[in-house]
Amino acid sequence: MHIFEGFLPSPWWQVWFAISIPVIMYGIYQMNKLVSQRREIVPLLAVAGAFIFVLSSLKLPSVTGSSSHPTGTGMAAILFGPAVTSVLSVIVLLYQSLFLAHGGLTTLGANVFSMGIAGPFVAYALYKVASKAGMNFYLNVFLATAIADWVTYVVTSLQLALAFPFEGSVFASFKMFALVFATTQVPLAIMEGALTALIMKYVVQVKSDVLVGLNVLTSSAATKLREAME
Amino acid sequence: MTHILDDYAVSSPLRYRNNWLKLTVVAFGILAGVSSNSPFVPLVIAVCMSFATVYFGKVPTGLYLRVLAAPAGFVMVSAVIIAFFFGEGAKLFSFEVLGFTLGVGSAGLNMALLVLARTLGGMSCLLFLSLTTPMIELFSVLKATRIPDSFIEISMMMYRYIFVFLEVAMGVKYAQTVRLGYKDFRTSFRSVVMLGTNLFIRSWEQGEKLYVSMNSRCYDGKLTMLDEKRPVRLPEIVLTCGYFVLVLAVFYFTRGISFI
Repeated sequence: MHIFEGFLPSPWWQVWFAISIPVIMYGIYQMNKLVSQRREIVPLLAVAGAFIFVLSSLKLPSVTGSSSHPTGTGMAAILFGPAVTSVLSVIVLLYQSLFLAHGGLTTLGANVFSMGIAGPFVAYALYKVASKAGMNFYLNVFLATAIADWVTYVVTSLQLALAFPFEGSVFASFKMFALVFATTQVPLAIMEGALTALIMKYVVQVKSDVLVGLNVLTSSAATKLREAME
Repeated sequence: MTHILDDYAVSSPLRYRNNWLKLTVVAFGILAGVSSNSPFVPLVIAVCMSFATVYFGKVPTGLYLRVLAAPAGFVMVSAVIIAFFFGEGAKLFSFEVLGFTLGVGSAGLNMALLVLARTLGGMSCLLFLSLTTPMIELFSVLKATRIPDSFIEISMMMYRYIFVFLEVAMGVKYAQTVRLGYKDFRTSFRSVVMLGTNLFIRSWEQGEKLYVSMNSRCYDGKLTMLDEKRPVRLPEIVLTCGYFVLVLAVFYFTRGISFI
């Protein structure tokens, strides 16, 4: 859920930049370390970013009739880890605001925090914990991406609520924003979770070595999943 | 998959103007709009920047209005929420729904109008930038700042591949549509999944090929670009200064004034 240019008033857009920038710096540091070890990762990260951009511009069939686009960041977090995802999401969000008039420049900090930092970190943590606990891979991907979307939407509602408290109460306005946007965001998150899980299913079927190479799956787990399909 | 604004920027007559000048104009407009307390400043900015985009940038008016309406859904919903619930004070009018009293107070209405005006002003500045300056021009600006090289490298390659994948995605989508792949909810979901998977696999293979092809052309982690010198002309300076003075004057004289 993008916050549009000019929507956040003065102290708040700076605050979200101040929170996001250190995380992004850390992400760039991590990425540079990765790049110095394996130089072929630069083009791979670039195409991954382009993939996220194009995926997020696809229209999902929606139940409520509103236009709904996946964020794609939950999937990126599972594939590349949250630190790299946060860097990629900065570029993707910048391009979305410039190419599609979706989002904005002053609100970039807030959008990066909700879509590039909070969502992916939660998705990654959930995925890692659940895969340690031996949960089914597809169910795990579904839950991680759907919950990442919900976290993003809750954080966006919180950002709006902090900027526009009702009668001095942030909680009251948070409830209101969350309630109204839930009508579009809750089904959207389920759709995106299902989409990502099914994409993963096809990828396991056709090109599972990619997932093994990215440490998303161990090679024994990948073989098991492929055998289960046959 | 809508039109990408960059396509219009590439053929814009304002493309070959000084990048820094354009960025200054945009940054000034965005900052002045977001920090003003009266809705008039962002509205003046919106009018000026829309005029500049449509008249100097030769953007079709219909397209411009359509793009400007992109945030309408989100902004309208949030503005209505703010109008009804923000702030204390006497209600201008109210009515009862299901036993709850809903009312619009003057503080709430003012805030909602201010937010609407700010979004309009901000979006018109953003659109000026994206409809007159293609990303290629902005890369040289980014290179002049202290943003890490790897970040800029990745954004440059990503920029190229966005267009490659969009074309692939559009082709696949047409093919699916003519085969009735979007006839109802179930099939369209299936089609989107197949499209997404195909894109993922395709992009992975592209990424590996890209590395090989760039390596064989002696890629050392740095793409160099020609940064053209484009001096700022006198009429541009005069116009920009006039715009700045106008906005600052409006800013000064409308402090604390609101519609209601």
